[in-house]
Amino acid sequence: MELRISAPLLASMGPLIFILWVVLGLVGATARGNSAEVSILGSGSSFIYPQMSIWIPKFTEKYPWVTLNYNPTGSGTGQKQFFSKLVDFAASDPPLTRDVWLRYRGQVLQMPVVLGAVVITYNLPVEGQLRLDGRVLAKIYRGEVRYWDDPLMRELNPGMKLPHKEIIAVHRSDSSGTTNIFTFFLHKASPQDWPLDLVGKSVEWPVDSRGNGVGAKGNQGVTQVIMNTPYSLGYVELSYALENDLPMASVRNAEGNFVSPSPQSVTEAAKNAFPLLPRSPLDDFSLDLDAVVYAPGEGSYPLTSFVHLIFWTRYGEKAEAIREFVRFVNTEGQELVAEGYAPIPPELRSVNLKAVGLIKP
Amino acid sequence: MDAREIKEKIFLAVVVILSLAAVLPVFHVFLSVIWNGLGVIMKAGPRFLLDVPPAPNAGLGGIAPSLAGTLLLAVLSSLLGIPLSLFAAVFAVEFPDNPLAKGVRVLSKALLEIPSVVVGMLVYAILVVPMGRFSMLAGALALAIMMIPYVTTYVEQALEGVPFTYREAGFALGLSRPKVVFDIMVGIARRGILTGMLIGFAKVLGETAPLLFTLGRDRYNIPLGPLDYGDSISLLIFDYAQTPYANMHQVAWGAALVLTLMFLAVFLISRRFTEEVFL
Repeated sequence: MELRISAPLLASMGPLIFILWVVLGLVGATARGNSAEVSILGSGSSFIYPQMSIWIPKFTEKYPWVTLNYNPTGSGTGQKQFFSKLVDFAASDPPLTRDVWLRYRGQVLQMPVVLGAVVITYNLPVEGQLRLDGRVLAKIYRGEVRYWDDPLMRELNPGMKLPHKEIIAVHRSDSSGTTNIFTFFLHKASPQDWPLDLVGKSVEWPVDSRGNGVGAKGNQGVTQVIMNTPYSLGYVELSYALENDLPMASVRNAEGNFVSPSPQSVTEAAKNAFPLLPRSPLDDFSLDLDAVVYAPGEGSYPLTSFVHLIFWTRYGEKAEAIREFVRFVNTEGQELVAEGYAPIPPELRSVNLKAVGLIKP
Repeated sequence: MDAREIKEKIFLAVVVILSLAAVLPVFHVFLSVIWNGLGVIMKAGPRFLLDVPPAPNAGLGGIAPSLAGTLLLAVLSSLLGIPLSLFAAVFAVEFPDNPLAKGVRVLSKALLEIPSVVVGMLVYAILVVPMGRFSMLAGALALAIMMIPYVTTYVEQALEGVPFTYREAGFALGLSRPKVVFDIMVGIARRGILTGMLIGFAKVLGETAPLLFTLGRDRYNIPLGPLDYGDSISLLIFDYAQTPYANMHQVAWGAALVLTLMFLAVFLISRRFTEEVFL
């Protein structure tokens, strides 16, 4: 007898197998429910993603009962997913705003865990390191300083043979925390040249209408434009300049010193900003950028920024794993900081470690 | 040579140049994926398919969890999406005057153009948020929704291509309607239908946007259960290409080549079916 399976029957097998997979999986998950394994998921800042991909394998190697993952979705999305309890922790370049912090006061913990730096990079066939300050940068991005050999540029760089070429000022075309740091620095260093309404994640660049302004998407885009455009200048995250061997300008800090970006000068800025920072992870961090950008101190690099981790105070059965992660990040994790980031200073680590005692089941 | 011949030559030249202009960018993309990806895979060796991805400036590692996730998701979403599409298409072709069937037709055509990120957001809103977690289940459902309009449209077209006389012959032999539809119509159109299914499968292999807010991107463990977090090659490429680190860019190129080869394999198989379509 010929045995034939009819097409509809065969086709119905597909969804049945799918449903079987779901049911078996759910039953399996319930059965596994009381095992000791814990799965932690974080989401947010894409800037910290490479650093996370160093921390995650090292952490899970030490704590094999924890599965740790991180989704680089962007700081804003990370906060949203954290507050809707989709993820266990968030990473965010800006801290929680005061409003959000007030709403969740006592329930959320924040901590700056690594430092980033925005660097001024340029494409200039001239020997020597360029020196810049907030005033000249503001004037460049306003379209007022238009030539490399402008008197203000020559004054900052007495030894350099600056050419009479137009400056092509590159900036981000997308909304970006990097732009926020850069414009905030311009405002703090030279408020009369760069008013507060030109500070933010995306701004109307005056240089676009008055001079040679060019927008590019992402740090990667800005890096590419600068590499391909002679006589251009722009701002990118330190790691992009390091990875592509781009020259980096030294920038005049609040004490009047020209400081080159380096892990030391960046950590120095956080050290000098420390007296202005909150003393507990439970506190309001919303103004910490104000403390660390254009920070006081002789050796502080002025374009320094934080990346924050955001946690709850209560975690149920995940509390132990979260505590260990906080401890790891603020102790040995600081020795594993990737190129392009800088570790936080020891004072800040001990403030962050107070969170270990605040995280409860 | 008179004016008409010259005109024809010019016309021919323009057509050739324009077609080249249309095709060359595709070849450029294809070649640069091979060019950049091959070196990476040669250097990483077979471990590229077995290891977890690397940290910044720490070698090449591999893409095992992402590869497993992509394959599993494509199979799971096909298990769900292909049969549903098949029934929807049969329904739409077999009952052309039924208002519901008309709805299926219009909807499947309209959904072809839906931005895939919308599908991701839909599953995020109706499944991920209520469940309180990202999961392979959510990813598979998002991909199934992505593929249904494609496969339905292909299967509809394949069924419509069957001459009406075959159907009449079936009824004349006294066969029941389901027998005519599934044994005769589907039988004759089977190659077109299989092609549609494979194209749906290939489509979901490369999707990124529906997975952004559904999957949870676990890059270190191979997913198995419906509640596990998962990853896909497309998401890995998306994230790694945006980092500043050269080794992570290389992993992204290698992953792009793996994905392209998977895509090509499915495409070649489906080509074999279409070549044999004529009876």
